[in-house]
Amino acid sequence: MPDNPIPADDRAALVESARRTTEVEPILTVYPVPGVAKPNPILKVDGLRRSFGGLTAVDVDHLEIERGIVTALIGPNGAGKTTLFNLLTGFDRADSGRWEFNGQEVTSPSPDRLARQGMVRTFQLTKSLAKLSVLQNMLLGAPGQVGEQLWAAPFRWLWSDQERANTERAEELLERFNLAHMRDELAGTLSGGQRKLLEMARALMADPVLVMLDEPMAGVNPALAQSLLGHITALSLEGVSVVFIEHDMDVVSGISDWVVVLAQGRVIAEGGPWKVIHDEVVIDAYLGRRRTEAAS
Amino acid sequence: MAFDIIFGNAARAAFGPEAVILALAAIGLNVHFGFTGLLNFGQVGFIMLGAYGTSVTVATFGGSLWLGIPVGLFLALALAVAMGFPTLRLQAVMFAIVTIAAAEIIRILIGSTDAIGLTGGPLSVSFDAGAFFDLNPYADGPQDRYGVGTFAFTGQQMWVITVGWVLVALVSLVVFLIIRSPWGRVLKSIREDQDAARSLGKNVFWYKMQALMIGGVIGGMAGVIDAIKTSGADPNGFRPQVTFYTYTALLLGGAATYLGPVLGAILFWFLREWIESFLRQLAAEAWLPDAIADFLEGSEGIISVSMVGLALVLLMLFRPQGITGNRTEMQLDAR
Repeated sequence: MPDNPIPADDRAALVESARRTTEVEPILTVYPVPGVAKPNPILKVDGLRRSFGGLTAVDVDHLEIERGIVTALIGPNGAGKTTLFNLLTGFDRADSGRWEFNGQEVTSPSPDRLARQGMVRTFQLTKSLAKLSVLQNMLLGAPGQVGEQLWAAPFRWLWSDQERANTERAEELLERFNLAHMRDELAGTLSGGQRKLLEMARALMADPVLVMLDEPMAGVNPALAQSLLGHITALSLEGVSVVFIEHDMDVVSGISDWVVVLAQGRVIAEGGPWKVIHDEVVIDAYLGRRRTEAAS
Repeated sequence: MAFDIIFGNAARAAFGPEAVILALAAIGLNVHFGFTGLLNFGQVGFIMLGAYGTSVTVATFGGSLWLGIPVGLFLALALAVAMGFPTLRLQAVMFAIVTIAAAEIIRILIGSTDAIGLTGGPLSVSFDAGAFFDLNPYADGPQDRYGVGTFAFTGQQMWVITVGWVLVALVSLVVFLIIRSPWGRVLKSIREDQDAARSLGKNVFWYKMQALMIGGVIGGMAGVIDAIKTSGADPNGFRPQVTFYTYTALLLGGAATYLGPVLGAILFWFLREWIESFLRQLAAEAWLPDAIADFLEGSEGIISVSMVGLALVLLMLFRPQGITGNRTEMQLDAR
């Protein structure tokens, strides 16, 4: 945009600072205790329980996820983070509990319906569709396609315009995620990190309101992790709410606006990243070993 | 050695009514297995209902053939719904078991003595397909032959295969049109990873159901052609191996390709008849030791079928993608 005198970098910084005041600052006034109410929640969970035999994997009394910010979900191995994700996105059935997404009660959680309502997830083990090209993977994400209905499928003129528009959008996203050169390659030929990028880009094709990323940084080399982090921040700049599961504390404190800590299926702490990282309860549950080392 | 006779026989089988039937069955199975990843081991069930729906409507209820054909196709569609509803939510393996069981249950019921009044039971059923052959433009005298040497058809056969191959072409075209669309893309995504498709908002169950119905009706068409060709249906013609021949043809030609099932069906019958004819010639010219010739007497079918099996094994080893498939695509599975 030549008529805009502000350089791109500065513009991004301005947008970021605007976001800080409008989206993030309200959350920082919230008193950081587990289950606290948020000013503008996109997701409200009540009494959500799931057990596998004798093991209670998830037991969340109340949890709210704030709209428009980046929320990190952390916790030791087996804390129930992924199970919570599966429940919320409809990939697993809760024993009991109810939740509200984007102001609507989720009555019969089915993964595809929730996705169409704007809750789009990615997976810990990436699910790139190996025998489809990168572009086809992206196009699959586009919502409301006429050509995905059988009656319209044989008649190309009914869906070719929409397909062209979707292709343009997909190409923009691929450009942004540094995958443009792989456009016509089969997704199965991508490296592990590139698949993570593709999965995230594909989720964006679906026009999500809330993106749920299950360990987006796992198994990704540090350079690529940096770019993934950049993409996550960019998402929230565009007004998409983000929840992501992560192990690495540095990553969490670097990009998240709010942190929820899960241990043994329960929410044991939440708050701003710096608050949570120095929380005794969290250190106990999550970094217990470091504490004993310090004590010895 | 009369290789012209052998070649003629093989070519006749490759373009005859049997190849048409196999090609249609394989196109339907390709929609299930090749594009959607549904492990349907009961394709013969759809063929059977197509054949019996047509035959029974005409033979038992005295309906017209033009009513019998849609009835056969409708029954195939109904089987897809009945089979898909309870099982498409299950794992792929469960679905495979149900399909093979359903096809066998139907065959046993149709062939039972209790069903004689309806389907002819073990006695098989026959009807007058005159309504179809009335339209035959080929002269059909006892001396009329179309072709050269042993590669020749009667007027009736010519009419069946003309209609048959036109149908194969039309069905292939429709499959091509729907698979290259966004709808087909969803099917392929389900084949690759159905949870990924779900996470992007696709109703996986419904897409699988649509694929099952379409492939089932195409299988039903194979049955209709079969019923017309033989003017009836016999329960023994619908044993589970029909499904496995269909898989062989499909894999031979290349699953998840548009021409694969057609080429596979042609090649399957060509190879099978070539081997069979070759063995017959060997025996006839007394080139085989007596013991082997005696064993082969009346059992050429067994040998040629085992040869087809061997060909399939070699194919899987050296060209797993089939004739028309794409090797790099195939190798992605190994990762």
